[in-house]
Amino acid sequence: MSKQPTRANGASTKRLAEDGGASPLSKSLHGLSLQHASRPPAVADSSSDICPVCKSSRYLNPNMQFKVNPECYHKMCESCVDRIFSHGPAPCPIAGCARTLRKAKFRRQTFEDLKVEREVDIRRRVAGAMNKKEEDFETLMDYNDYLEQVEEITWNLILKVDVEATEGRLRRWEDHQKAELNPNARRREFDSSVPTDHVVLKKGATQRKTAAPASTPQTIANEMNEDIGFKFHGLKKRVAPPPEAPFDPFGGWSIAPQYYVLQDDYEVDWLTNQKNDVKHSVGGYDMRDFYNRSLREAFGGFGVFIEDEINARGTPSLDPHVGTKQAASVAVGARDVNMDDVF
Amino acid sequence: MLFYIDTLPVLFPYPSVYPEQYAYMCDLKRTLDQGGHCVLEMPSGTGKTISLLSLIVAYQQHYPEKRKLIYCSRTMSEIEKALAELKGLMKYRTQELGREEEFRGLGLTSRKNLCLHPSVKREKSGSVVDARCRSLTAGFVKEKKERGEDVELCVYHDNLDLLEPHNLIPPGVFTFDGLLKYGEQQKQCPYFTARRMMAYCNVIIYSYHYLLDPKIADRVSKELSKDCIVVFDEAHNIDNVCIESLSIDITEDSLRKATKGVNNLDRKITEMKSTDAEKLQNEYAKLVEGLRAADEARNEDAFMANPALPDDLLTEAVPGNIRRAEHFVAFLKRFIEYLKTRMKVLHVISETPPSFLQHLRELTFIEKKPLRFCAERLTSLVRTLELTNIEDYQPLQEVATFATLVATYETGFLLILEPFESATATVPNPVLHFTCLDAAIAIKPVFERFYSVIVTSGTMSPLDMYPRMLNFNTVVQESFTMTLTRKTFLPMIIDRGNDQNQITSQFEHRNDLQVQRNFGSLLIEFCKLTPDGVVVFFPSYLYMESIISAWQGMEILDTVWKYKLILVETPDAQETALALETFRTACNNGRGAVLLCVARGKVSEGIDFDHHYGRSVLCMGVPYQYTESRILKARLEFLRETYRIKEADFLSFDAMRHAAQCLGRVIRGKDDYGIMVLADKRFNKKVTQLPKWIQQGLDQKSTKLSIDQAVSSAKAFLRDMSTPWSRAEQEGHASWSLEDLQAHQKKREIEGISGTDNPRIRALEGRAEVEPKEPEDDEFGGADADAVMADLDIDG
Repeated sequence: MSKQPTRANGASTKRLAEDGGASPLSKSLHGLSLQHASRPPAVADSSSDICPVCKSSRYLNPNMQFKVNPECYHKMCESCVDRIFSHGPAPCPIAGCARTLRKAKFRRQTFEDLKVEREVDIRRRVAGAMNKKEEDFETLMDYNDYLEQVEEITWNLILKVDVEATEGRLRRWEDHQKAELNPNARRREFDSSVPTDHVVLKKGATQRKTAAPASTPQTIANEMNEDIGFKFHGLKKRVAPPPEAPFDPFGGWSIAPQYYVLQDDYEVDWLTNQKNDVKHSVGGYDMRDFYNRSLREAFGGFGVFIEDEINARGTPSLDPHVGTKQAASVAVGARDVNMDDVF
Repeated sequence: MLFYIDTLPVLFPYPSVYPEQYAYMCDLKRTLDQGGHCVLEMPSGTGKTISLLSLIVAYQQHYPEKRKLIYCSRTMSEIEKALAELKGLMKYRTQELGREEEFRGLGLTSRKNLCLHPSVKREKSGSVVDARCRSLTAGFVKEKKERGEDVELCVYHDNLDLLEPHNLIPPGVFTFDGLLKYGEQQKQCPYFTARRMMAYCNVIIYSYHYLLDPKIADRVSKELSKDCIVVFDEAHNIDNVCIESLSIDITEDSLRKATKGVNNLDRKITEMKSTDAEKLQNEYAKLVEGLRAADEARNEDAFMANPALPDDLLTEAVPGNIRRAEHFVAFLKRFIEYLKTRMKVLHVISETPPSFLQHLRELTFIEKKPLRFCAERLTSLVRTLELTNIEDYQPLQEVATFATLVATYETGFLLILEPFESATATVPNPVLHFTCLDAAIAIKPVFERFYSVIVTSGTMSPLDMYPRMLNFNTVVQESFTMTLTRKTFLPMIIDRGNDQNQITSQFEHRNDLQVQRNFGSLLIEFCKLTPDGVVVFFPSYLYMESIISAWQGMEILDTVWKYKLILVETPDAQETALALETFRTACNNGRGAVLLCVARGKVSEGIDFDHHYGRSVLCMGVPYQYTESRILKARLEFLRETYRIKEADFLSFDAMRHAAQCLGRVIRGKDDYGIMVLADKRFNKKVTQLPKWIQQGLDQKSTKLSIDQAVSSAKAFLRDMSTPWSRAEQEGHASWSLEDLQAHQKKREIEGISGTDNPRIRALEGRAEVEPKEPEDDEFGGADADAVMADLDIDG
């Protein structure tokens, strides 16, 4: 933003000056002063705009951009990053910080305050693991306690208090959460680990075989008091959703014929001609469709006793909102329409 | 005089009553009887305030419930006037009844106006006085003193504790001066006397803000009972007051100050941890229980308030992640840093609160819920830390308020980030406007909570706009006119100059030479013919400046100078005050002066030009708002979508209410007279949007005039006005004595069946004519609206 309009301005004023026939000195002076005026002062005066590594400032290099690495959050300019880290990982050039940095991890900083930048990164990490919602807790109180605990974990990481221990606990908690979310994945992991052992340690196979059944109850017991990193009071046990049933368009209603069994073929004389007629089979016609339909028509309405159903129903309800019932009452009057037949 | 409305005895402190006053009181009583809200329009200068007060006081004293009256007005001078009228009324009542009634009436204003402390009262800025007062009167300061520490206290405030808490001041009505005098005598603080006595008053008079601004209302007006009668006087601008009270502007500077505030808090917390960790622990324990418990410690001198929090939030516990003080401070820091990054953007952004929250969550992991508690949590923390230099934390409080509002309301608000001050600026100076679009949000609790709300002003046309914009239902809506024996004001619409060229402030034409010259010759002519004061209103400062410099070149100002002294209003308040004073002196000297001012400025809102101070008012151009403003555009869109108010309708309504305000400046009573000139061709179509009482005076022959036609009718009018006239002439018609009133009441009884709908009775009582209902036009207004839209221009 700062550069382009400046240049355009400078060019136009130059042209103007030429038209007016001013001396070359006044021309250049004019251009200079204009350039100064149009530059945002906020950018020009800030002393923090000097790269701590190469000491180049924004005054010399107006397009200078700063980058940070989330390893140590030391700021340096883009050209320094290119210069130092292009040939692979290298130690941080800032004195007193010997961390090895990689170029790929460098990025533009989002927040002005680098402390906040780091805090947000840590929060991103914690939020990945601690993602419980209010619904997961029995009371609001428990949820608030949980939130506070999470905040304390974050603070430990920010203030670098027991970082390793906290990290370990976080990782265990994450694993535990994953396992709870998807028990099958864990079992698979466990299963897959056993056969590989088998392959590698073939000699110990017999030993293992005897040990295997004994270890199963032990693992269960282990899981019971396993260290899952954190314990939160009032956390509801996750209830796995019941496995989803396959889609049933008829809503559990069976359409299999009750009174007959459909066979693949019927040896009847009067059908032989039709069966062998090429004209029928050419169009993709299948005799089984014909059997199916004829039998269905023959047995349609079988085992349906209208009188019984009417008695069982009592007086038909005349609720106008229920279309089917209304239709049923019509059917009662008409007698010859059987609503219970599907076809 | 004493008269009866139905069975209610009303003591009116004057020997005669205007018909419209009587009708106004009847309508008020009807509203109070039914319980509900009403909108009433009555011209300025017809004694609105005294009618209101005398009826409501009569109502209070007659019925055993003794409902409290909360009378809200706009400016300090109006509040003082109302207090003086109330005092006069009560004196009259005592005289008539022969006994003193148990009655208290008090006004409330800022600490700055009511302070007696010898050093604090010398401070100039209101916020400094507030802060210093708090540091002398806060609860914990007193505790410290009791512990034997050496802290300064305010003697005036301490003396209050020695008195009975419900009887700090004897019954009666106290004006501000009276209150100050009593406070000085008794050595007690007038401000806290008024605050603490609020619950025991029959009448409270204060500014809108104490009721509408949620930050203040929660402190001051919380204890007022549900059956109060609330009056908003001069309420034509009430929607803007509502909107301003919930809008927040954040700049880079305020963010920098907020960061400083947060860092200070951080330091204070660390200090307190090493010296008095128990206190923080106590606060923590309270917050675990919920805000309500933490709130119990709250009293009148606590310094910050929560903005319009829904009640269920107060009962809920504070989210765990901001319960600890240090966690909360880090939370605030993160939020401020986030706002800073948002400010760096170089293009305009306009987004809704949900989208803002979404982005905030992605970047900083701040959830909506703790954000909602921000303001309350900060209040609690500040109280725990016992901070005294509170004014340093003002920007921080603003940010916290913003956080709470943005997380509380999903609709009716918009965030607009403008990186540049104007379209041509190259240096970024970002401002984050958090703007409220819905005036109904701030006023909703008032309408819901109070038994009866009365919205009244001199210019409220069209009446149905207010219930729509503020989203409430009315029991009574009525517009009154002025009953006059002679026509004392002459409204005119001038649409062309002597050269038959148009007169308009339309954007395309406003800088045309002919238009500027026509405006100039209009000014010259009216300066020539008007005795004493002339007031001229322009649509904006920008236009006023450009046209004045154009007039300078055309030697128009030199001609005006021969007849009148020229004075100009500026945005600077002190300069304007000086100009006004000079204007008055010039008018008193007899030569007269002309004041050039702006339709939305200070002069158009609060200054009266009664009698010789204003004989003509010229409204040059339609005072539209600056329509290119993004905030206005957003609000227009919101109004269209939510309340079905068309953009053109609203803009036109808004322009006309300001025009009407300007015109109303010159007529301040029945014996006053003046000329009102609307100089723009677009006014011809907008006549119906003027208040009824102006419309009534605006007949066919005074519209679409050229300058010379207007001049001749103005001259004739002034000649009419100069004939001798005494007040006696209006008796019986425009002013009723007791006998006239009783005769009228009898007449009404006879024709009573048709009630207020009878046109003859309506005319007698000064009610405006009811227009026959027009058939609703289609949704988009058809060709008619297109014409209006085409008329809209860009005013700068």
